[in-house]
Amino acid sequence: MEAIQRTVKYEADLSPQFSEEIRHLPGGETLWHCIQCGLCSASCPLSIYMDYTPRRIMAMTREGFKEEVLQSKTIWLCASCYACTVFCPQQVEITHIMYHLKQMAIREKRYPRNFPIPVLAREFSTWVRNHGRVSEFWVVFRTWRKIAIGRLLRMIPQGLKLMRLRRLPISVHSIRQRRQLKKLLAQMNGGA
Amino acid sequence: MKQGNGTVPRIGVYVCHCGTNIAGNVDVKAVVDFASKLPGVVVAREYKYMCSDPGQSLIKNDIREKNLNRVIVASCSPHLHEHTFRHATLEGGQNPYLFHMVNIREQVSWVTEDKMSATEKAKALVEAAVYRVRYHEALETKEVPVNPDVLIIGGGIAGITAALTLANAGKKVYLVERDYSIGGHMAKFDKTFPTLDCASCILTPKMTAVKDHPNIHLFTYSEILEIDGYVGNFTARILKKPRYVIEDRCIGCYVCVEHCVYKTPKFPSEFDEGLGLRKPVFIPFPQAVPLIAAIDPETCIEFKSHRCKKTCQEACRDLVGRDAIDFTQREEVVEVQVGAIIVATGFKTFDARRIPEYGYGRYPNVYTSLEIERLVNSSGPTGGEIVMRDGRKPRRVGIIHCVGSRDRNFNPWCSRVCCMYSLKLAHLVRERTGAEVYNFYIDIRTPGKGYEEFYEKLMQEGVHFIRGKVAEVTDWTITPEETGKLVIRVEDSLVGVVRRIPVDMVILSVGLEPRDDAEEVRRQLNISCSSEGWFLERHPKLAPVSTFTDGIFIAGACQGPKDIPDTVAQAGAAAAEALALIDRGSVELEPNIAVIDEQKCSGCHVCIALCPYSAIAFNEEKNVAVINEALCKGCGVCVGTCPSKAITQQLFTDEELLAEIEGVLLV
Repeated sequence: MEAIQRTVKYEADLSPQFSEEIRHLPGGETLWHCIQCGLCSASCPLSIYMDYTPRRIMAMTREGFKEEVLQSKTIWLCASCYACTVFCPQQVEITHIMYHLKQMAIREKRYPRNFPIPVLAREFSTWVRNHGRVSEFWVVFRTWRKIAIGRLLRMIPQGLKLMRLRRLPISVHSIRQRRQLKKLLAQMNGGA
Repeated sequence: MKQGNGTVPRIGVYVCHCGTNIAGNVDVKAVVDFASKLPGVVVAREYKYMCSDPGQSLIKNDIREKNLNRVIVASCSPHLHEHTFRHATLEGGQNPYLFHMVNIREQVSWVTEDKMSATEKAKALVEAAVYRVRYHEALETKEVPVNPDVLIIGGGIAGITAALTLANAGKKVYLVERDYSIGGHMAKFDKTFPTLDCASCILTPKMTAVKDHPNIHLFTYSEILEIDGYVGNFTARILKKPRYVIEDRCIGCYVCVEHCVYKTPKFPSEFDEGLGLRKPVFIPFPQAVPLIAAIDPETCIEFKSHRCKKTCQEACRDLVGRDAIDFTQREEVVEVQVGAIIVATGFKTFDARRIPEYGYGRYPNVYTSLEIERLVNSSGPTGGEIVMRDGRKPRRVGIIHCVGSRDRNFNPWCSRVCCMYSLKLAHLVRERTGAEVYNFYIDIRTPGKGYEEFYEKLMQEGVHFIRGKVAEVTDWTITPEETGKLVIRVEDSLVGVVRRIPVDMVILSVGLEPRDDAEEVRRQLNISCSSEGWFLERHPKLAPVSTFTDGIFIAGACQGPKDIPDTVAQAGAAAAEALALIDRGSVELEPNIAVIDEQKCSGCHVCIALCPYSAIAFNEEKNVAVINEALCKGCGVCVGTCPSKAITQQLFTDEELLAEIEGVLLV
């Protein structure tokens, strides 16, 4: 027998600081114009795959449902096509808010661990930060190693074919003066 | 400091708390203490509400007991209470123009965040007033007679109601309508919400009453060219456009229409929103008032080539014996004198083409709500039958609310009527076709008598209500049941999933907008508009039909979106306000006008050319300029430009202004 679950939300479970933090990020204040019409969800090409529709993410963010929002797949499925932002009748910067939520999920390590998109995003940015350019082989390898080793093993035959055609080099190429790049990236992130 | 105009000033300063509006952000006590020490101030007091009866009594008693000869109230905007306090000063026994008002609410407490600096600013403004009032002089108001006739602009339900109310009170009314017939938007409707009574049955008797009323002079197919004058004495120039049919001769018999060289109607009928056709000679609709034919020169062959057989003219002359058609008719300008003006110019509907995602103009089965009004109308192009442009009857209908409304990309406001008319159309469509009807709404707004009950009735009738703003209407289909249909993509926001709903017909519930020429009308009448373009009322609650220009009133949707009951109520209110003005017989004019010192005037004519109100004439005998007090609006242009400094403006003399500046800088 499957157990039933209590779904009530107590105020103590919510995080008003979370919504305040979003409010103070660029474009974040527009969230308070939202009238929950759902045009973002209806115009989104990917909303049909999302666990929460974009409209629900907006409502949950505003009310401080931090855990649900940062662990949602929705923010990672956002393809940044800006359709929602263009059509939004209240001119809410939905795509920008999605970016803020993604950054926060990575920073606070709340993103869904077995979901490829945030893992790929993280591996991609780490590799670029360290080497100045991306290596398809290593980014793919490290991503799948973290998500599903079995899947990685099944990819070996195709990988070998690509290597034979010199389409997937294993060798690592880095740019010169990587220390300057790191400094630059650190500056962009507000010295963090 | 100078001594002012001779009399020793005895000034009373009253600082208002305005509840917490002022006291919450200004240290009122500090301002009073400061004021009491200023030169000439005999008494300085504070009170919670100066505008209340006890507040006004303070002023009256002090004038009597302390022999005050100047009064200053520091409170809200003069727009709100200048008149109140001038009256209190008069009742206390002093000339009302010895009073001066300081605005420490709109200009201080509401706009200054820091209490310290707000208090300092309030002190400075009070000191400025103390310096200024010593130059105030007793001024006399001028009384002018009021013309008892009224001009009403716009012949929709608002204009009609106001016209009949005034005419029934025995006043002469000029009703000017731009279109061929009066009736406005309401004449196009079949039923009205929430009672579903027939629009024609309640409107057409009123339209006929307007035509038959001896006190109403109706100008149709006419526009206002120019309005001149001031409260009680306006002159309006009305342009009567040619309809190429002599109004007095036409009896609306349709013989000309039947005998037009076009055997069948060929051109889209404006009244039927383009869903029906008309001939170049036509009567807009059978219940039109006045029931007079008109010729459209854009489509008439005679106007285009001068080679028409003119069978309409022949038929009118030979078959009816009226000879009413006159191809050489020219426009005509008529001038009327009135004492008050009611503006009831109405609205226009949002152009659905501006939202291409909804496919209006691209998919033939996407309609605007106004088109559907014509389609369900028993005297409409289909006789009330709901058939689509392809001749089919719809089996599934989607009604999209808030098209162009509540949308910052278009119009941010709620158009107020769309929820209810969408419910009405949903009911009518379901009643007549049995179709499944889907309403797509953001919020259902039914705040009106019997409105919520109507919404409940619709839910019981099985109409679907889906909460979500539609993203697009598309003919790109995915599943078999979508084939050949239009698909509406929307988030069902109460369920939290995106849905695709196939329909045969889409109705776009377009919102209400100010008319394109609202800005032009505003300028003609010298009234104000809100930033959205709706005409601005003097006070949103307490003066909803007055404007900032005395003698001009507004009624109906030109002031903001509103439904028929509200429009009629407002039209009645505007008529009552106009009546109150003209029945008084005379009005007092503010003495803030310019005066010419004949000794100093060199007769150079500079002011005459510059006066925007043509209020200055030239006296050849004395060789000086003369200001018509009734026409002068006190704008100050002549004062500023007079090279001889011969012109002063009462209440804004150089001494008063310089003293005010001196005072404000002293703190």
